[in-house]
Amino acid sequence: MDISLQIKSLLNEAELYRAQGLFPEAKDKYHAASAMIHKIDKLKNKDSLLKAISGKIQSLEKKTEKVETGPTSPELSEKGQNLIKSLFGENDLQKAVALAKFGQFERAITELEALLKDDVYRVDAGKNIIRCKMAIASVDDAIDQYHQWLSGDLFTGHQLESIRAYLQPIIDRKGIDKSLPVPVGERDEINAADSGGIEFSMPEPEEEILDITSIGITFTSGTFKGKMVEFDVNFQSGGMLSLIISKNDKTLIDELKNGDSLDDIQFYSPIAMFKGTAVVANKTQINSGPKQGDFCLDLKIKST
Amino acid sequence: MAIFNLKKREIECKVVYYGPGRCGKTTNLEYVFKSYKKQVTGEMVSINTEGDRTLFFDFLPIGLGKIKGCDIRVQLYTVPGQVKYSSTRKLVLRGVDGIVFVADSLEVRREKNMISLKDLQSNLKEYGKSIFKVPLIMQYNKRDLADEGIPLMSIEQMERDLNRQLKVPSFPGSAMKGTGVGVTLKACLMETLKSLQREFKWAK
Ligand SMILES: Nc1nc2c(ncn2[C@@H]2O[C@H](COP(=O)(O)OP(=O)(O)O)[C@@H](O)[C@H]2O)c(=O)[nH]1
Ligand SMILES: [Mg+2]
Repeated sequence: MDISLQIKSLLNEAELYRAQGLFPEAKDKYHAASAMIHKIDKLKNKDSLLKAISGKIQSLEKKTEKVETGPTSPELSEKGQNLIKSLFGENDLQKAVALAKFGQFERAITELEALLKDDVYRVDAGKNIIRCKMAIASVDDAIDQYHQWLSGDLFTGHQLESIRAYLQPIIDRKGIDKSLPVPVGERDEINAADSGGIEFSMPEPEEEILDITSIGITFTSGTFKGKMVEFDVNFQSGGMLSLIISKNDKTLIDELKNGDSLDDIQFYSPIAMFKGTAVVANKTQINSGPKQGDFCLDLKIKST
Repeated sequence: MAIFNLKKREIECKVVYYGPGRCGKTTNLEYVFKSYKKQVTGEMVSINTEGDRTLFFDFLPIGLGKIKGCDIRVQLYTVPGQVKYSSTRKLVLRGVDGIVFVADSLEVRREKNMISLKDLQSNLKEYGKSIFKVPLIMQYNKRDLADEGIPLMSIEQMERDLNRQLKVPSFPGSAMKGTGVGVTLKACLMETLKSLQREFKWAK
């Protein structure tokens, strides 16, 4: 091809990529065109051409920088935030958490604070407020928030202990040497234990259980020994998972009996994959509705 | 995840347009919004950033009317393409029922297509889904640029790059001109409804 046609076609490409927002690709083509022009000796408007191209390259560099340094989650309009709430959350807590996930922390905190009034949501709302504070401010802000709650009377000791048990490991992991005071009611129980003689059971710390979307069970004995099968999780309530298993998998289901412990489970959650164990808590055959004949299997997560 | 209201015989499902940045996902949705007025049931919402890049997602609700006695509503989404928005892509993909993978026919975007498809696979996997099982359609977009002398990949090459193992239905298209947009969406909705039928037997 004639060299001037080649240059023309390179510039044509560069122009199109620029128009489509493909800045690095556009830049490459401008550079290629420029290199080709340099090599031609007798070109009338060589200098002005080269100058024009280098101007284009500079403006591309500016645009690229703008895109790259732009905020990853700018504050959205109220309308945008409302859309996120309605699309990504079913209950009020999920709606508020969705705002936080999209980086709309200020509004998320406002909504979470309103949820503190609700006994059902209080602890989760509190934990998520802590999460938001750490995201927009600092761990210190989160610690201040804890102290503020500790001196107020919104939370019961037990509820606050659950928040402390959530925040303390985060502080530790960050290498910050601070230990959060245990809420009063809870401390009394611990002290009672220290004083010896009195029998009591520690309240089980409420662990953060992630949303689990599916699991893979590897059978460690029986007919399917060594085999891994994956199931979607249809419903989750804390550490209890319910799976609907098709009647076509009856041979599999027959292997699983109430009380069986499953020692090799892969849990899949939206943000992580991890291994753990579970116990078969309940197994029932569904005898009406569209899933008639299928099985509902409840698994209690033991450890992750 | 599709929402069923079997009493009212309503289904609401979610279709996501996936693909590398600037491949034409938003343009696909804009064309649907403009050209399928009867089906569109609400506003198209785009949350954009510097230079019109999709920051979070685009959203467009459509309705297909009654199919086999069920009222079918569909939420169409696009994901942002830039690498740094990977967590948003994951969020938007949550509970997806069907996917349109928009691939860019520009030769210079060959590798970006493949990286994006891989990203789709791993994000689906984190939700416990397999890219081989999810209803998926490919669109080879920007075919119109061949007329302007811009180097495009051949359809055969794109099939080899992206669809050799998946073997899903694929269509050439030009979202800007509107060609191939309707057939792609229709094919995806068919696959999605078929898969929901296999799973939930909603059609009588
Ligand atoms: N020529 C041509 N340009 C297109 C086509 N589809 C999208 N574009 C352009 O490509 C650029 C990016 O499109 P957009 O829809 O924002 O891509 P997204 O990042 O995937 O949402 C825009 O400049 C569009 O006008 C097409 O079919 N043909
Ligand atoms: Mg877009």
